[in-house]
Amino acid sequence: MALHAAMKGKLISVIGDEDTCVGFLLGGIGEINKNRHPNFMVVDKNTAVSEIEDCFKRFIKRDDIDIILINQNVAELIRHVIDSHVAPVPAGMFNPEDLVRN
Amino acid sequence: MERGKTIEKLFWRIAGRSSSPLDVQSDLDTACNLLDKLVLRQLHLMEEKIQCELNIQSSINNGSIHLAKSRYIMGQSSVSITRLPTESSPDFAASTLCETTEEDGVKQLQVVENTAENTVNPLRWFGVLVPQNLHKAQGIFQNTINFVVECANVQLQIQNNFKNIECLKKYKSLLQS
Repeated sequence: MALHAAMKGKLISVIGDEDTCVGFLLGGIGEINKNRHPNFMVVDKNTAVSEIEDCFKRFIKRDDIDIILINQNVAELIRHVIDSHVAPVPAGMFNPEDLVRN
Repeated sequence: MERGKTIEKLFWRIAGRSSSPLDVQSDLDTACNLLDKLVLRQLHLMEEKIQCELNIQSSINNGSIHLAKSRYIMGQSSVSITRLPTESSPDFAASTLCETTEEDGVKQLQVVENTAENTVNPLRWFGVLVPQNLHKAQGIFQNTINFVVECANVQLQIQNNFKNIECLKKYKSLLQS
């Protein structure tokens, strides 16, 4: 079944703050696969930059992910890793920081 | 499609290019015209992408307001990461996926619903009787996913267009040398 699903479509992953992750997961993009690997990562003020880098690299390596959504402020932290990713897929999208909390 | 064919035609001409100066001049004119059109298209695509990003931003803002209202009704920790599944949760499949199609030689994505059995309704993570605002937030974020995929499509088109421009520039410099 999982194989069938993988053939049908690919995932959208998200790396962002609490609200972004909760929102997009509520939208239905979240998944935990059979190897217990989620396709999302919640970044808070205590998250190390190396952790975000590792997560981004892991998402790039996964062949079942087509789009990686990253908050702009998180993307700035791992700019060097993002710049080294030149392949068109997975496509990286950067959400501008939301203005609600400003 | 037509544009792609013209570029292809130009590349084929490189292989069997005649050395007549008249032919070179007409090739150069065609290349310059095509380059103008591609650059103009690049600008249009960039504008489209900015519009998509603005749509995503306003959607996320709207959704976040509804999440905040739900948080106010249900309590601080009721709508937070503590409710999200972790690595120790049972596995489940995403209910929204994106499917790849090819349009004019450019990879394009489109949103599809997952028909697998092990999908879950994310609202259940936050309780059985959830406030109306959480339903609204869900609808808004589902719509945002469409904007995101649209934005990714425009980005793929921009990358493809950029590749064509670079190829054409090389061809032009070849003609000029």
